[in-house]
Amino acid sequence: MKIDKNLIGGSSILLVLSLLEEMDRYGYEIIKELEIRSDKTFQFKEGSLYPVLHKLENDGYVKSYMAKGDTGKERRYYQITKSGKKQLEDEKEKWKVFSVSVNKVVGGELNVFV
Amino acid sequence: MSSCNIDEFLKEVLSFVKFSFDRDDIKAELKNHILDKADYYTEQGFDRETAEKKSIDDMGDAKNIGMELNKQHNPFIGWLWKITNVFLVLFIIVNVFVTVIPLIASLGIFVSVEDIPDSEIVYEIKINEKIKIDDTVTHFTKVVYDKNGNLTIFYHYYDTRLWGSGWSLGTIGEVSDNLGNKYFNGSGHGSGGIISKHRQTYNDFSKDADTLIINYDSYNRKYKIEVPLNVGDKNE
Repeated sequence: MKIDKNLIGGSSILLVLSLLEEMDRYGYEIIKELEIRSDKTFQFKEGSLYPVLHKLENDGYVKSYMAKGDTGKERRYYQITKSGKKQLEDEKEKWKVFSVSVNKVVGGELNVFV
Repeated sequence: MSSCNIDEFLKEVLSFVKFSFDRDDIKAELKNHILDKADYYTEQGFDRETAEKKSIDDMGDAKNIGMELNKQHNPFIGWLWKITNVFLVLFIIVNVFVTVIPLIASLGIFVSVEDIPDSEIVYEIKINEKIKIDDTVTHFTKVVYDKNGNLTIFYHYYDTRLWGSGWSLGTIGEVSDNLGNKYFNGSGHGSGGIISKHRQTYNDFSKDADTLIINYDSYNRKYKIEVPLNVGDKNE
């Protein structure tokens, strides 16, 4: 099953900040990682990642810098900030409450994280 | 041919980004992404043209991306940021003019408040009177009486605050003598600078007066200085 989803949707901040919490990444790496981890469940409009990244930067949740990676090409890397980490915790909490609530309504398991 | 498509795609995205200063960065970032994806498709066995075309398709709608990017690259905030930077630079330049240049000037200009040539001097009295009013100090250094009957008062004038220099005229009080004659400014000039140097000349100063009186009384600030003149010496 493929979920065709525009990245500007609500969970994008949670997903992107989660990946940046592990390590600094550039845009293409983020898309690649999302695809791998979701077993290609998410089919992103890849370009829509950038408005999300730029918004996160404007909000102070990430900062960017130019660096040459393994390939030697210069890329814009994104790094999660302290306030970004705090925001990530909030987003995780919101997601937990949301998914538990949805499951209650549809009568599934009470906690998907168990 | 296929690179053209990438450029066209980028051009369309950027046409929605109003703040032109950010366009180059956005363009480079998106282009890198498309080329990375095209490399991936090439590795999968697609020819370059197809690989690039597929990569562009994966990006999504150029207009949509451009409009969303434009929201994050707001011209108002962008320009505000630029203007703030310009003002910062202006602020620094103005400060250089207000403080550094007068500082340099004041070093040189100590010479330019001319002394009266020795041949003209009848007598010269060194004094050392410092008067502080609020944040300004007037330091009287000497009085010179010349052959033309002029009395010249030399003084320095400075502000004790770091940023306060240059805004006062550095005027001194009313000048009179012990005989009750009042003198008004004949001529005078002063240098700019952190410590400005002044000289003030009073014409036709009474030969008979034996005390110079400088009396300041403005805005509830008062001082009075009496300088004994060398009348006796002159007569001897």
